[in-house]
Amino acid sequence: MIGLAVVPVVLATLLIGARGVAALRSTSDFLVASRRVSPLLNAAAVSGEYLSAASFLGIAGLVVKNGVGALWYPVGFTAGYLLMLVLVAAPMRRTGALTVPDFAEARLGSPRLRRFSAVVVLVIAGLYLVPQFTAAGQVLSLVSGTPHWVGIVVAGAAVSVTLALGGMRAATYVQAFQFVLKLLLFLVPAIWLLLAVGADTRTAALRPAEYTTFPRPTEVTFRLDTRLEVREPVTVLVGGVPRRLAPGTVVAPGEATWVFPEGAAVPEIAGSALPGSDTWQHPLLDGGNGHPLLATWSILVATALGTMGLPHVIVRFHTSPDGRAARRTAAITVGLLGSFYVFTVVYGLLGGVMLPELYLSGATDTAVVALPSRVDGGTAGSVFTALLTAGAFAAFLATSLGLLLALAGALAHDLLPGSLRRLRLTALLAAGVIVLCALPAVRIDVGSVVTSAFAVAASTFCPLLVLGIWWRGLTARGAFAGMIVGLVSSAGVMGTGFMLRADPGPAALVLAQPALFSVPLAFLTMIAVSLRGRPAPGSDAAMLRLHLDET
Amino acid sequence: MSRTKRVAVTSPQTRVALAARRGGVSVTSLDATALAAAARIRRRQLRVAGTTLVGAAALLVGAPAVLDLVPVGIRWGDVPVVWLAVAVLPYPLLAVLAFVQLRRAERAERR
Repeated sequence: MIGLAVVPVVLATLLIGARGVAALRSTSDFLVASRRVSPLLNAAAVSGEYLSAASFLGIAGLVVKNGVGALWYPVGFTAGYLLMLVLVAAPMRRTGALTVPDFAEARLGSPRLRRFSAVVVLVIAGLYLVPQFTAAGQVLSLVSGTPHWVGIVVAGAAVSVTLALGGMRAATYVQAFQFVLKLLLFLVPAIWLLLAVGADTRTAALRPAEYTTFPRPTEVTFRLDTRLEVREPVTVLVGGVPRRLAPGTVVAPGEATWVFPEGAAVPEIAGSALPGSDTWQHPLLDGGNGHPLLATWSILVATALGTMGLPHVIVRFHTSPDGRAARRTAAITVGLLGSFYVFTVVYGLLGGVMLPELYLSGATDTAVVALPSRVDGGTAGSVFTALLTAGAFAAFLATSLGLLLALAGALAHDLLPGSLRRLRLTALLAAGVIVLCALPAVRIDVGSVVTSAFAVAASTFCPLLVLGIWWRGLTARGAFAGMIVGLVSSAGVMGTGFMLRADPGPAALVLAQPALFSVPLAFLTMIAVSLRGRPAPGSDAAMLRLHLDET
Repeated sequence: MSRTKRVAVTSPQTRVALAARRGGVSVTSLDATALAAAARIRRRQLRVAGTTLVGAAALLVGAPAVLDLVPVGIRWGDVPVVWLAVAVLPYPLLAVLAFVQLRRAERAERR
């Protein structure tokens, strides 16, 4: 029943998308709305596109799982637009390039670099898109009991139809609308939750007690295979059959449901902090690797510098009429995002105190949607669950729209240049491939995969853009070398870490969060290789031109 | 309804790059005065950007280091001060930095 909440969101998306079709005539219309979007509308669209499932659901879930330090994620996401404003927005817009690969060729004159950049776009967009679709399936199956694949297919169909019909013209209005929608659907339930939980829970959320014993018989459905550190012997019910767990390491199989008795000690999970514990309350990101400060810095580097390298974010700045408008767009976006993210703490803290068992089940991404029914079992709870589900679905739709556009752009515009019809077909095709990738990827952690997309963007496109815009000495060779080093030391290292599954410790930290070293490494390689060569003639003017106001 | 002529769309840069590949045409058409002005503006923008980047670094690098040392027990009412510092405080700070940067960058751009 609650699943029906997504219907109006999908319908509105399609209607507003259809309005854009009338005005769509060229590739430029499709990709950048023919560059006539005002700063405020564009900033709302940028924010609407940017606030993905990871923002709407993921951060509150990470707070439940890892503690208050997870609130650094949205700080990095917002700071990304400040750095974009400072370093990239206006000059990037003045290049007139439609996509990052276009920028690479325009500034450095190398078609080879352009094709390589297009491949990097595919990597980043893929890393970002698959978890969005997976999250769509998770939330829909939670609230309505539909199978996981239904949500994925519904999301894929709605997104690709809108995109194929309307392109960026449609996407701009859709996403500006969705920002307002998401802000309301996030803010109103947050205020209701704060009022409805009562003074005792509010105090408990601010002075959380460590989740050491189960306060009532607690049913836990493990999402993945989970290694539990059992501290005291306990008898759990597995499908009604008692099973005695001895102290030590016990592996709970994925999708199994165990019922823990009242008063039993809560088992621990290596790598995450028990909700309410001292580590959980510490305002830094401790992934259990013993270096919370380094882990926090690494996340902040990846998110703040990665934002400017996200292909779907950059292309959106080209819908502004000129460099000045692009800069204003970035500045307004900082404010709009802040007004949204400031409410994530409500869901995170209430989730930590009211749904601590999610820490065991691993389904922390559902904390936001699960809170209202825990607070109020009646109609009000259902209504707010429906509102939050609609908001979360709007988040998937908006982000996926922009990403598919960037993906289709990279394929059809940069790798195999073609007509508008070809671009539309590519968008459809890309959506199909992503849906197929998302179907088996039930078991991935939405938040961590999205962050890896940021780390790759920060290690490849960020140095290319910053040095390309501010340093005349950058050469095509240098850019190429730097981006390869950045790609290997971010995506390669994270992939290795995923295969190895290293034990918690400094090595695991480096493998999981490589941004702190991969970004400087990419910058240094780019500079060192460029210094050994000579910039192409005219590159001085090509760079300076970007700093000249058009008017 | 008037129909405009339909043309193949490439970005200006692609067109320039294609032309350059074919005939080796110069990439820009800026004259010497415009170049000198652009160089001046770039230097001014670098100074403006530098100040904002120092502010951003203070928040993103400095704040976690400071919060690492402050105990959670220090409270404002019931709210731990360090939680306020990570959950609420950064957003107005970022907005102020963005606003100041925008004002200064637009001023630096006037020739």
